[in-house]
Amino acid sequence: MAVNLKRISGGNLSENGRYRRRMLGWLTGVGLVGSGVLSAISNFVFIKPRTTYGQPQRFSIGKPEDFPPGTRMALGAQRIVVIREGNRLAAISTTCTHLGCIVGLDETGFACPCHGSRFDQDGNVTGGPAPKPLPWYKVSLTPNGEIEVDKDTVIQPGSYLSL
Amino acid sequence: MSPNKTSQPSLWKSLVELPRNVWGSIFRNPLPSNDLERSATSFTNFFLHIHPVKVHKHSLRPWYTLGLGLISFFLFVILVVTGILLMFYYVPSTTQAYDRMLDLRGTVAFGMFLRNMHRWSAHGMVAVVFMHMCRVFFTGSYKKPREFNWVLGVILFLLTLFMSFTGYLLPWDQLAFWAITVGTAIAGYAPVIGKDIQFLLMGGTSVGQEALLRFYVLHVAVLPAILTLFIAFHFWRIRKDGGLSRPAEADAIPTLEFPEASTNLEPRRTYGVQGLVRGPLHAAGKVPDNTVFSWPNLFRAELFVFVVTVSAILILALLFNAPLEEPVNVMHPPNPAKAPWYFLGLQEMVSYSAFWGGIGVPGLFVFLLFITPYIDRGTEGVGRWFARERLLANTIFLTFVIVNIVFVIIGTFFRGPNWTFVTPW
Repeated sequence: MAVNLKRISGGNLSENGRYRRRMLGWLTGVGLVGSGVLSAISNFVFIKPRTTYGQPQRFSIGKPEDFPPGTRMALGAQRIVVIREGNRLAAISTTCTHLGCIVGLDETGFACPCHGSRFDQDGNVTGGPAPKPLPWYKVSLTPNGEIEVDKDTVIQPGSYLSL
Repeated sequence: MSPNKTSQPSLWKSLVELPRNVWGSIFRNPLPSNDLERSATSFTNFFLHIHPVKVHKHSLRPWYTLGLGLISFFLFVILVVTGILLMFYYVPSTTQAYDRMLDLRGTVAFGMFLRNMHRWSAHGMVAVVFMHMCRVFFTGSYKKPREFNWVLGVILFLLTLFMSFTGYLLPWDQLAFWAITVGTAIAGYAPVIGKDIQFLLMGGTSVGQEALLRFYVLHVAVLPAILTLFIAFHFWRIRKDGGLSRPAEADAIPTLEFPEASTNLEPRRTYGVQGLVRGPLHAAGKVPDNTVFSWPNLFRAELFVFVVTVSAILILALLFNAPLEEPVNVMHPPNPAKAPWYFLGLQEMVSYSAFWGGIGVPGLFVFLLFITPYIDRGTEGVGRWFARERLLANTIFLTFVIVNIVFVIIGTFFRGPNWTFVTPW
């Protein structure tokens, strides 16, 4: 049995019939491809969580007395360092702006063990691949006298909370 | 015996013949003793029928292919088997995963050994897939009609890297946590959709339980399924593209003896549906037969590669234990925090610039790999290692390979605490 390689689609149809067939073919194609794309997108909607279970972005770190003047204390779990100079207090992120490692404190400021970014005492980049300085977070005193850090609000570097 | 009376075999006879009948119902063919049976063995056996009945002599040259593609596949098989076994004991939980690693080491029979096999096969697969890619390039095997199979190969290489990346996060040791942190942060630098990809991978804003679960699902279900599909596609294309590449001389048509054959290779018969395959089939019977039967020539070679691969992994797993670092400490990255060796080139590059080192340059490399067969269209020098006609292309690719190896070496030996430059001596 030989195979006829000539195109036979719609050979015996009228002009209108061929047009209708092509139209229906296009609509079917658009419908199928469209449904495929939609279901692919909905998979991503499904795996994008609506609630997350991470740590709270606003939290209390204790009373001002816990941080005597001259303190530079890293809070590892919260990924911040609390700085107190005299009566001024600030919280700087210890998450490296390069690729998210935790920077360590050293004599000149901060150093990242992962890719060698270095920052000065105020979090400004002094070396390495980090593209941005370490952000400063908003610090406030709650009515019951505790210090609250809000990691959702980044403030101007050098703005301290006066105690 | 009259023709309309069928003979009923006695129960006794059926029992006596039972073993032979069962065997014969599974294997339709006896061990072959002539060419007809040799071909039948190849296409009546489910596991053998992806092979051609006959294979070109050139494809069997050990120093042409080095068996690298097969080794990659056999390593994948080892990884699937050992991986499924490890799943019996592993729990993708931040509180349990590390303890389960210690259990594998301490209480599970062969636990340590299976983890070693899995880890060394994974490292081996990354290395061998890369070497396979080098082999295909240096022999010019990505040329027409094999362009698309090269593209499939590049996809398989990327999938292999992603498999190994999602795999080494699962022990939830220090390497795991900080690699997942850095890896997802690199994804975050991708333009436009980077932040969304990062969020989807981590399942939240920070690396934790959700991220571990997601990488586990990717590692044991999503990626193996995709990888298996692409391996099947890759193998199928080898057959449809006319087998392994070989130099034109290997199929040379002796013009003196058959003057007509060289000028007229048109098909002279109509083909049934099954015969509508493009490729060298038209020339069947008109060229000298340089093929040999797959049974036993090809299968013997494959068995040899399989035994060598499994033996090498068994020996490695006996001699060296898979590394396991300290349990996760989310407050202190190890210093220096180093990825496995095959990602140290990438880590070295991101230590200059996160975007260019992690997205830009690797993305460019991958793009160049993908379009290589559509840019380099020359047909000269196919099927020979380092053919002189391909000097330019081979030099460019060799440079690319050396640059990558140099970056890996710098990252491995010349980087100390805080990623500062150190000398290893």
